[in-house]
Amino acid sequence: MLKMAASAVRGAMVLRTDISRPVVFVRKIPGTVASSELREHFARFGHVRKCTVPFDEETGFHKGMGWIHFSSEELHHALQWENHVIDGVKLHVQPQKPKALQEDQTSDEERDF
Amino acid sequence: MAALLRPARWLLRAAAAPYLPLSLRLLAGGPGRPHAALCLRAARARPVAGGLLSQARLHSIAAEKKNYLQEEPTSSHRRNASQFDWALMRLDNSVRRTGRIPKTLLQKVFDNTCHSGSAGGNQALLLLRSCGSLLPELKLSERTEFAHKIWDELQKLGTVYDVSHYNALLKVYLQNDHKFSPTDFLAKMEKGNIQPNRVTYQRLIAAYCNMGDIEGASTILGFMKTKDLPVTEAVFSALVTGHARSGDMENAENILTVMKEAGIEPGPDTYLALLNAYAEKGDIDHVKQTLEKVEKSDLYLMDRDLLQIILSFSKAGYPQYVPEILEKITYERRYIPDTMNLILLLVTEKLEDTALQILLACPISRESSQNDFGSFFLRHCVTMNTPAEKLKDYCKKLKEAQLHTSPLQFTLQCALVAQKLDLAKVLMKALKEEGFPIRTHYFWPLLVGHQKEKNVQGIVEVLKGMHEIGVTPDQETYVNYVFPCFDSIKSVRAVLQENGCPHDDNVFSQAELRSKAVNGNLDYILSFLESNTLPFSFSSLRGSLILGFRRSMNINLWSKITELLYKDGRYCQEPPGPTEAVGYFLYNLIDSMSDSEVQAKEEHLRQYFHQLKEMNVKIPENIYRGIRNLLDSYHVPELIKDVNILVEREKTDSRKPSSSDLESKLEKLKAENQPIGDILKQLILMLCSEENMQKALELKAKYESDMVVGGYAALINLCCRHDNAEDALNLKREFDRLDSSAVLDTGKYVRLVKVLGKHGKLQDAINILKEMKEKDVLVKDATVLSFFHILNGAALRGETETVKQLHEAIVTLGLAKPSTTLSSPLVTLYLEKDDLPAALESTIDCYEKYKILPRIHDVLCKLIEKGETELIQKAMDFVSQEQGEMTMLYDLFFAFLQTGNYKEAKKIIEVETLEKLVEMTQKLFECDRDQLYYSLLKLYKVNDDWQKADAVWNKMQEENIIPREKTLRLLAEILRNNNQEVPFDVPELWYEEEKDCPTSLPSPVEVNLQQGLLNACHRRRNKDAFNIFLTAKKQNIVFDNETYARLINLLLMKDNSTQAMQVKDFAETHIKGFTLNDAANSLLIITQVRRDYLKDALTTLKTALDLDQIPSRLAVTRLIQACALKGDTESIHDIQKLVNGLEDSIGLSRMVFINNIALAQIKNNNIDVAIESIENMLTSENQTVDPQYFGLAYLFRKVIEGQLEPALEKISIMAERLANQFAVYKPVTDLFLQLVDSGKVDDARALLQRCGAIAEQMPILLVFCIRNSQRPGKAPVMKSLLELIPELIDKEEAYTCLMKSYVFDNDVTSAKALYESLTAKNVKLNDLFLKRYAVLLKNAGESVPFTEPPESFEFYAKQLKESKETHL
Repeated sequence: MLKMAASAVRGAMVLRTDISRPVVFVRKIPGTVASSELREHFARFGHVRKCTVPFDEETGFHKGMGWIHFSSEELHHALQWENHVIDGVKLHVQPQKPKALQEDQTSDEERDF
Repeated sequence: MAALLRPARWLLRAAAAPYLPLSLRLLAGGPGRPHAALCLRAARARPVAGGLLSQARLHSIAAEKKNYLQEEPTSSHRRNASQFDWALMRLDNSVRRTGRIPKTLLQKVFDNTCHSGSAGGNQALLLLRSCGSLLPELKLSERTEFAHKIWDELQKLGTVYDVSHYNALLKVYLQNDHKFSPTDFLAKMEKGNIQPNRVTYQRLIAAYCNMGDIEGASTILGFMKTKDLPVTEAVFSALVTGHARSGDMENAENILTVMKEAGIEPGPDTYLALLNAYAEKGDIDHVKQTLEKVEKSDLYLMDRDLLQIILSFSKAGYPQYVPEILEKITYERRYIPDTMNLILLLVTEKLEDTALQILLACPISRESSQNDFGSFFLRHCVTMNTPAEKLKDYCKKLKEAQLHTSPLQFTLQCALVAQKLDLAKVLMKALKEEGFPIRTHYFWPLLVGHQKEKNVQGIVEVLKGMHEIGVTPDQETYVNYVFPCFDSIKSVRAVLQENGCPHDDNVFSQAELRSKAVNGNLDYILSFLESNTLPFSFSSLRGSLILGFRRSMNINLWSKITELLYKDGRYCQEPPGPTEAVGYFLYNLIDSMSDSEVQAKEEHLRQYFHQLKEMNVKIPENIYRGIRNLLDSYHVPELIKDVNILVEREKTDSRKPSSSDLESKLEKLKAENQPIGDILKQLILMLCSEENMQKALELKAKYESDMVVGGYAALINLCCRHDNAEDALNLKREFDRLDSSAVLDTGKYVRLVKVLGKHGKLQDAINILKEMKEKDVLVKDATVLSFFHILNGAALRGETETVKQLHEAIVTLGLAKPSTTLSSPLVTLYLEKDDLPAALESTIDCYEKYKILPRIHDVLCKLIEKGETELIQKAMDFVSQEQGEMTMLYDLFFAFLQTGNYKEAKKIIEVETLEKLVEMTQKLFECDRDQLYYSLLKLYKVNDDWQKADAVWNKMQEENIIPREKTLRLLAEILRNNNQEVPFDVPELWYEEEKDCPTSLPSPVEVNLQQGLLNACHRRRNKDAFNIFLTAKKQNIVFDNETYARLINLLLMKDNSTQAMQVKDFAETHIKGFTLNDAANSLLIITQVRRDYLKDALTTLKTALDLDQIPSRLAVTRLIQACALKGDTESIHDIQKLVNGLEDSIGLSRMVFINNIALAQIKNNNIDVAIESIENMLTSENQTVDPQYFGLAYLFRKVIEGQLEPALEKISIMAERLANQFAVYKPVTDLFLQLVDSGKVDDARALLQRCGAIAEQMPILLVFCIRNSQRPGKAPVMKSLLELIPELIDKEEAYTCLMKSYVFDNDVTSAKALYESLTAKNVKLNDLFLKRYAVLLKNAGESVPFTEPPESFEFYAKQLKESKETHL
């Protein structure tokens, strides 16, 4: 997936990327942070289409996980950034696995350069 | 070999604490009994630092869950056992990780136990023992309360308490400083008819002493004396405390002298008692003096002991002396849990300042900001309601000390979890002062509690609090946490105003809008959006609007709202603009629906899209593609075209072409000299996904110059999947030539390495590894695991060079660390070849290179098994030199345990050594004490030494060890063998439980025999298997359930029922509850039937059914048939009753009973009865079986075969009568066919002449043809049938079957005749028919008068089948 993200810069790739993919999955979000802080943080990498940090209705706390939906090109900027730190806490940021593809087995096959 | 252990034994002796029997001034008396020599040192009155038992047995969780579902009453014992495992694992894990048990966990385990309805003795023990110092977060009184609750509840559930439970309760009292009357306690025991033992008395003495009651303690000592029980150091230590608490420090000191005079050197426990006594008096000078004295002696106080002194000082009100003791603490890593527990305990006791002092003294690494230390302290302070101002101060100090990066935030979190508004407010203000932003969502957990209870006042208070802190509620706060508490939004507004809660009107009305949207009130939305004056972003409304849309199916409103949002300047005008925003909204709308929802609303959505089109709403193409994929995956591709009309720029085709389409397109392009790269790649990928390697490779060869990297990558992977190393390698080279910088996926590299290594292309494989390094390919955990599997596979195949070189390359290149796992194949290589010197060499080599010892345990075990004295010496020398003698002893000891020969083990590790090992390891972390004691008991059993065994029972209680059931059983066995009373409730043991328990290691002899037996079963060698069984039986070795079941199955299959029964009897007497499974019982029935033991077979059937098993159809049918042939109608009726209701599960047709009952009656000469009942069934009003399916072929065949002429005649008459008078043709047709089948063609013809309708029963006749054509030797029957009923030939099924039969029997002549008569009739013959005929002719060396269909039989069979299906 990382490699896919890296090659996403290539024009051909961008065209082919479907819009359900440019999603980053964020873990270890500290309790002090909610979706607006997260959105603000990730906005520096590009247009954030959607940012969700689900809260548990039973407790009023979130579970430390969230999703950032980018427009396709920006995804890799966010992934390449090493230190995602909010409120002094380092977030774990990874690409969201696409729904259909479980493994990264076909990524290099998509290249035709 | 004993020489090996000499140094180790010396080591142990030096450290062993001395014990000498009692001879006291205190109580003039004789010496203790010799066996008391075992009671070396009393356990220290504290929790064991290590696990309660240290085997994490995850499997038991699964077992537990299963049992929960089943709740079989019969398995309650088993359930208890697995429940115990589960409870033990949970509690043990907690203790091992943190040194304590959280109250919630104990409560959960307890509830679970109660829920299960019963608790075994050891489980009760486990729960009771957890109620002492393992619960530092609970007040002392609460802990004892908990223990009492457990005691009473479990007693109600029927748990039988023995002395160990009473002792455990005493221990809990002591740990919790619980005041109680020892005499009452003894009376209670007496009432329960439980004899107190040494441990009981010891603890009662401690109880008296804790109260400063020396007189009481002396009374108990008197008891002990009359019972001739040994007095241990623990008693003396208690007396030190006793004298001190009675205010007599002089005598407290004197006890040490008394001890020495009695021949017992005071150990650390005695000194600790003395130290605590001084600490309680605040006598720091004496504490220091005593500590110095201890330091000078060869005794050693552990951190835990010093912590105890700190606790004594603090509780007695002398916190000023704490720092002096803290200085002496070495802070060994393993005592961190103890330190944490002390801190928690101090907080519980409201001594939080001292707690903080200790916390701050902890030498935790302050550099890595990642790990905050002290959270447990803060959390517990919040729980214990430590004043807010104090907490603020603690946070400040923790931060200053750099122990914690964000203590205030953490404490706030705890306050929010505990829903403590006031504390939260103080903390938020403090945070704000520090410049940390206070965010709206901090208040949500506080609101949640009130919202659940619809507590308006509570909500108002929190909202006021927010205002106080300067936080304005946002839309989410209102929508999710405030509104649900009220009946209407109007009333929210009113209440807020009434209570003076200021609110932003815009936020509030937008929240209202969202709330209405969520409820599907689209009218409101539209009018709001139309009249609204304040622009806002569409995206904030998106989620709620989607929910609203899905709730309301008013498409006109959908469209109008969408149009408004799209076109109105107030909503979507900021970048990236309305096209993007609305497109994304549509995408999310569809994404939020399930596939079934989209399918159901297909028409609505279509209408919606078309209305949007009318309104000139557009969406970007890439978003369209996303929607298209969604619709595709929802299986509603029909909607795609309807979305497509909204796309801003229109183009692109959406359907994928097939590979042949692609190929012709490719050829066309090539012919036109156009570029083909892209289409070639698509085609290759498609072929790869179809696994068509041949074709893909051909294509690649043909268009080599047009290949691109992606195509190669897929092809390489394909070749690897097909184990085609040659082509994979060539392709990889071509791939590199095409673009030397191109990188494959990790998985493909790994697969290449594997295939190349497997095919001996080692250098190539290494080159791939090098490339992985050079190109910096991502190596994940899974990749490392793949490396291990590659190496291990090669090791198992014995490929030394492959393993060595690939391992070397992986490690040298740094692709993976040389872990124990990754390196184990290096040793496996030799272990598999039984080359022990090389295996040991390899392990040692790994240690020298990588500081790991892969498979050392396995190597040792094998060495011991083979008796390789010199190599063991070498191994032990190496281990003890590198890792110390204790480790060496351990390794060796466990290798002996594993190899299982305890007698041998005894020769080497003498009992004395083992005893000392057990004692030495008492305080070792991660040490399975129960297992050690179990081993010890095994030795005592060999020596038949019940006194020592009894002493072990006492020791285990002293050490607070929860014995496993097998340990208790072994102990009981030793005691019983020596005619001693067993002082506890002996658990019944299931054999399987032993199997489940990974610590009960079967000896290699057992393993080998069992393996041999299973192998023999696998190879169907019943004689070998049975002989192994006999050998094992002689050695009294019992295998597991499964093994016996397999053996019995094999013996039954080989028709050896006598032997099978022998095995069954043995298994039944040695494994509690052993039963045969369904398959075995079915086989048994069949064998018994075959041997004509019909009564036994019937009993087996009953047994199987009683066990709720489903016997096989074959078994039941055979039994019924056998009964019928015997004329045993009664038994058939019995069986019918037995299987009543199970017929469908067994697959038993009613006809089996009808046929066989009739047959039995006929055999009994009750022909008329049989016929009458059949006729009744077929002619009565309420038929149970449709006449069409009323097959009596079996009965007819048996009657014909048995030449029961009178019966046959009467049956014939019945069949004809049924046909002629009742138009029931099935019986007569069946009879006709059975006559044909038995070669009675004349009888058949006569019957046909009498009843011409037989020829019209085509379905029955055809079924007969099809069935017969599947068996060889039926050509004559088929020929006769065709002669009798020539019109059969017109049926395709019939002539196909005929040909099949002729081919089966090589009947060329008949086949030719059939073919010719068919061609004469101009019948269009199918390819399968022709293929069959052609092959028959060819095999007979004759020419084929037509072109033989080229494909295989399967091909035509399939074709025929498919064409039939499409005609249906």
